[in-house]
Amino acid sequence: MFEKLVSIICNYVEVEPDSITRSSRFMEDLGFTSFDFMSMLGEIEDEFDIEIEESEAAGIRTVGEAVDYLEKLTAEA
Amino acid sequence: MEVCSIIRDILLHTEQKYGNEDAIRYKTGKREIASKTYHQLRSDSESFSCALAALGEQGGHTAIIGATSYEWLTAYFGIVNSGGVAVPLDANLPAQDLCELIDRADVTTLVLDQVREDVGAIVRQYCPKLKYIIAMQKEKSDDTQLSFWQLIHEHEGPCDFRAKPDQLCTIMFTSGTTGKSKGVMLTQRNLAENATCLDMKLPERIVLLSVLPIHHAYCLTMDILKGMSVAAVICINDSLMRVAKNIKLFKPELMLMVPLMIEVMAKKLEDVSGLPAALVKNMVFGKQFTTICSGGAYLNPDYIDLFNKYGITILQGYGMTECSPVISNNVSWNIRRDSVGQLIPNCEAKVVDEELWVRGSSVMLGYYKMPEETAEALEDGWLKTGDLGYVDEDGFVYLTGRKKNLIITKNGENVSPEELENKLAASRLVKEVLVRDHQGVIEAEIFPDEDYMKKKKIRDVQAALQELIDAYNLQAPAHKRIYSLKIRETEFEKTTSRKIKRF
Repeated sequence: MFEKLVSIICNYVEVEPDSITRSSRFMEDLGFTSFDFMSMLGEIEDEFDIEIEESEAAGIRTVGEAVDYLEKLTAEA
Repeated sequence: MEVCSIIRDILLHTEQKYGNEDAIRYKTGKREIASKTYHQLRSDSESFSCALAALGEQGGHTAIIGATSYEWLTAYFGIVNSGGVAVPLDANLPAQDLCELIDRADVTTLVLDQVREDVGAIVRQYCPKLKYIIAMQKEKSDDTQLSFWQLIHEHEGPCDFRAKPDQLCTIMFTSGTTGKSKGVMLTQRNLAENATCLDMKLPERIVLLSVLPIHHAYCLTMDILKGMSVAAVICINDSLMRVAKNIKLFKPELMLMVPLMIEVMAKKLEDVSGLPAALVKNMVFGKQFTTICSGGAYLNPDYIDLFNKYGITILQGYGMTECSPVISNNVSWNIRRDSVGQLIPNCEAKVVDEELWVRGSSVMLGYYKMPEETAEALEDGWLKTGDLGYVDEDGFVYLTGRKKNLIITKNGENVSPEELENKLAASRLVKEVLVRDHQGVIEAEIFPDEDYMKKKKIRDVQAALQELIDAYNLQAPAHKRIYSLKIRETEFEKTTSRKIKRF
């Protein structure tokens, strides 16, 4: 999941994949804007065939939190 | 379309001609679309007016909290078309902040989307003037909340009330430079003439996708009221996560956007390489798509050129909530890339000490119960915009900077630096703080209190301050979060009155 997410992240912001860690913060460290982040979540919905709750997604700050949330969703799907 | 001076006339004129045609389309599942006609919208909103009258609330102040939905729009038209005052509130604000606004706006009825049930749970405790909560999705009324649809069915019927053009109909909150948000009072005429006085030559029955938050004047006036004035099919985007998917689903011809969205969509266009521009545009926006209206914040004109390459026209406009909100707009047959467009027909402008002042039928009545702030903003009917700029001999407006200390994010949100500074300054770690816009994100520059740090044996100043920012961000709405921290080793330079020099 982590690797997949990193490759999606790199479609949105210009960062080296190797520099992304679980503790990387989307806004502060990776330079996401709020709309970049929302668009990426939409792409993830398609990629993993899941439905993301906007209110839950709003609490995600780091790559690690996103991985945990997505793993939980895909397990339920 | 003729100029309308009350909101009801916009809906009625279109309903007479296109009553059985779709007014609103929205998703009911991943790919399923439902729709409501102009006739249904008129009929349901009039029934809602009747329900308010039956509750003794016709003409009262009614807040609406929720994302754009058919229920939201039905409530809005039901309130304002029967002489009431709608108070659209930001559904993303913390519950306590919403309660404060509900109370300050003297709201007696609240129409609530169930996603904010947390507000419903505490609102009576903090808002003693509130009498009714109407829940949009609730099936049956009970002791605490009324069901929106049950009310409409029980009070089905016409309402032929005609509001007066100059009566207050909407209070919209906007960030103030002092940190306390201000309730902008807009009349029927303010909004209706703002939406209808400029003929943008949009084709009747144009399909538009509404992606901006409905509690913003730009969305309410341009997507909804202007859209209705040209009998548009207004499609509701269910989430910012799904804009790209919803473009494919609803196939819009036009969208209103803020610069932040335009920048992201530009990346999507540029990401597809090696294909002809027309094909790329069809892949991202669809063959039918022609136009983006940009507002909320200034858009770098390079994006106008870029989208033009793909056959998409960007019409940049300019405005502020206090002016309902449109002041100027480019039109497709007369675009000046560096200008925010020509003054719209109901608006005149002058420049006083480099600041733009505007006057006309869309300028607000004032700020609700804030006479001092109103007196500061209005002078002899002129609205001081706080923007520096000029108007050329053809009426085109050019912006050169800002006079007021307000951050306008690329989202089109106004953020008061003082509000954020006051929150951070409440911590003992902070001796002085300045909040500003830095390359599109909100930055806090902090001069830490070294004595306090020593006393508390805090060695890692950076980590301590970042922790403070993180704690602030956790409770702050998304557009007010601070994503850049700068630490300084010396005090800020001060003015003679001991205030920090901002520029």
